[in-house]
Amino acid sequence: MIATVTLNPSLDIILEIEELKLDHYNKVHNIQSIAGGKGINVSKAIRGCQRDTIALGFIGGARGRMIEEELRNMGITTNFWHIEGETRSNIIIWDKKRAQHTLLSEAGPVITREDLEMFHSIYYRVMSQCQAVTLSGSLPPGVPLDIYGTLISLAKERGVLTILDAMGEPFEKGLEKKPFLAKPDLRETNQIFGKSIEREEDAIQAAREIVSKGAEVAVVSFEQKKDIIATAQGLWFAETNYHKIVNFIGTADALVAGFAVAFTEEDKEFIEAIRFSMACALASALREEEEFSSREEVEKCLPYIYIQKY
Amino acid sequence: MKIKDLMLRDITSVMPDCKLVDLIKILSRHKITGVPVVNKNQEMVGFISQHDLIKAILPNYLEIIDSCSIFSEFIQLSKKLKECAQHKVEEFMNKKVITIDDEDNEVRAAELLIRNKIQRLPVVKQNKLVGIVTLTDICRILLETEDSSS
Repeated sequence: MIATVTLNPSLDIILEIEELKLDHYNKVHNIQSIAGGKGINVSKAIRGCQRDTIALGFIGGARGRMIEEELRNMGITTNFWHIEGETRSNIIIWDKKRAQHTLLSEAGPVITREDLEMFHSIYYRVMSQCQAVTLSGSLPPGVPLDIYGTLISLAKERGVLTILDAMGEPFEKGLEKKPFLAKPDLRETNQIFGKSIEREEDAIQAAREIVSKGAEVAVVSFEQKKDIIATAQGLWFAETNYHKIVNFIGTADALVAGFAVAFTEEDKEFIEAIRFSMACALASALREEEEFSSREEVEKCLPYIYIQKY
Repeated sequence: MKIKDLMLRDITSVMPDCKLVDLIKILSRHKITGVPVVNKNQEMVGFISQHDLIKAILPNYLEIIDSCSIFSEFIQLSKKLKECAQHKVEEFMNKKVITIDDEDNEVRAAELLIRNKIQRLPVVKQNKLVGIVTLTDICRILLETEDSSS
């Protein structure tokens, strides 16, 4: 079983528009509501790999119940702490003509101290039945910036493999507790440890610094089709030459899911684990809407992944 | 059909030291009538339902629920609940643990639900809680099977 933590999930409302015109009337052709949030996306991709997964975090109100129902219908186990407030929604405007996705993201409901205590209790119990846990995404108001560090320590206490995928201070504070794998989320700031990732050398330096700070494996995405993977033993580039990509949303989460799946399967060598994870990301990128739903889809992508030692 | 293919993949549960006030919050927010009680390793140690609570706090309430004195008894129930708000679940839970393995089938689940007069049957895998099955779930599956065969 692989657990995923989504502290700030959302109900993603996707509005399909022919061509977005600002300060103008826009007609919506299609509307779709789906459970969102980085950890939830990771759970969907893990399920796509036909592995058992459990989604944890905070949800609330009618939107929260919609998320829970959707996940259970997909075969994902849930154990969310239900809060007093309402789960946020994210509006995604899909401009078909320009093939662009514009995301309008809410901050999320306030989490109380009592909510945090109840969540810690759930998390600690669930770790007893898991091989790995992924900790992904932004923090809602009220959650301390060092929460990922606390959760990493609790998981390690129970012998669970930890994967951290977050941004800014929550990432850096989480890294202090030495997760197994750490991947900075660079979507908003493109910065880590106060430095910008502009060139390939910056990404390589960042990956090395993450390893030096205690993660066994560092993953830094550079441009959309390339990842840099570092360990104390070396550094690798993983990329794809496949050109028919239709959707980059959620590919980073599928990559994390791939690592969680691959590193909990005993027969996978390190390079094969990287290849499998990149294939998960590619399988996700080939889908316009939902996450991939079979392991075969991932396996078909394996030949398009190239890994090179630095 | 295997239980793992029809169960509700929900492992909402409480620890024996959970306070009654928190339990009621969980039941109300999840819109459910009872939850498994587990230890820190997710192993079942009991089950607590609204029914168990009322039976423990005001035993005659369930008997007089249809009578005309229900309102005065309701006030008493409310008062008693407030008094017990900080008490722990372990004082009220049913310690007779009835579970089904996720590899078992719907016939066995239906038998356990009916024989023990319970509404929610916890599902375990290697002794750890992995889901819940109800009679409604079993009826739904039976109907779907019948539909597809006809």
